[in-house]
Amino acid sequence: MLRREPEAPDGRLEAELTQLFAQYREALPDPEATPEFMPKLWRRIEARQSLNRDLRRLAQGFVTAAALVSLVIGIFLSLPQGRVSAFYTNTYLEILATDQAQDDPDVVEIVRAERISYERTQ
Amino acid sequence: MRDSEARTDAAAGRAMVVDFELIGRARGGDDAAFGQIVQAYRKRILGTIARLIGRPEDVEDVGQEVFLRLYFSLDQLRTPEMFEPWLYRLTVNAAYDHLRRQRRRQESRMADLTERQVQMADAMAGSKEARSAREKSKLRELVDSLLGTLSEQDRILLTLKEIEGLSLKELEKIYRVNENALKVRLFRARQRVLKAYAGLAPKGGPAPV
Repeated sequence: MLRREPEAPDGRLEAELTQLFAQYREALPDPEATPEFMPKLWRRIEARQSLNRDLRRLAQGFVTAAALVSLVIGIFLSLPQGRVSAFYTNTYLEILATDQAQDDPDVVEIVRAERISYERTQ
Repeated sequence: MRDSEARTDAAAGRAMVVDFELIGRARGGDDAAFGQIVQAYRKRILGTIARLIGRPEDVEDVGQEVFLRLYFSLDQLRTPEMFEPWLYRLTVNAAYDHLRRQRRRQESRMADLTERQVQMADAMAGSKEARSAREKSKLRELVDSLLGTLSEQDRILLTLKEIEGLSLKELEKIYRVNENALKVRLFRARQRVLKAYAGLAPKGGPAPV
């Protein structure tokens, strides 16, 4: 139950206000629509439908264009490119493996063997 | 639309103006069914809008906006039983948008006219019909100015309750908030209007109508 605030106006004003609202309701009865109401409404509905159609067409065009651009980019990326240095195409591990191959102990051994034989001939 | 098939809203005790089958057909895209719904509710909705916005010249425009929104949102209606609260919600939203636009525009209104202009308008209106129209106009302006002390939302809520005579159950369905919250808001809005009304009333006498 709502409590009345102490400074609230008295019941007489409350009753008057209720009566005032009732009079206002009577003074403003439900109006009859003009004959133009329905034709105007249908025109507005058609205008909105046409706007929606245009927006949908625009969105579809945009999606198609985006799909086309994606396709073109995909084709471009899948085409074989010109000779590119292994530095750009190989992975880090592949490059590391190549470098290690250069430090192969067999090669070092051979060099040492040659060196030894050279020293012996001296 | 068949009267014999009109259903009764249990909560409100009001008869549905159209049957569920017609609403279903309109939801399915049947323009003829939609036209019938508009014909059935047009007068009631225009009346509500007239009392909500207080500007007879804008009533049809706002009414068309309501039915336009209805046309494009009917597919979102979950059950035909909720059709009337749904329609009222659209009405409330359209009236609210209009009142906000109107406040922004700050158009020149009868209430803003100078005392001299009002006296001239009074002098011109001599016949009985003109007098009656003038009294109605004054009453409208008085209620409009009292409701003008509220926010747009409270104005609409109070109008629906006090002038349109909607029950709390109906308002609950329209606003989707619980009854107690509505009661509190209505009480505060009414108190504010009452205070404004008391300010207009001369000491010891009734407020001017």
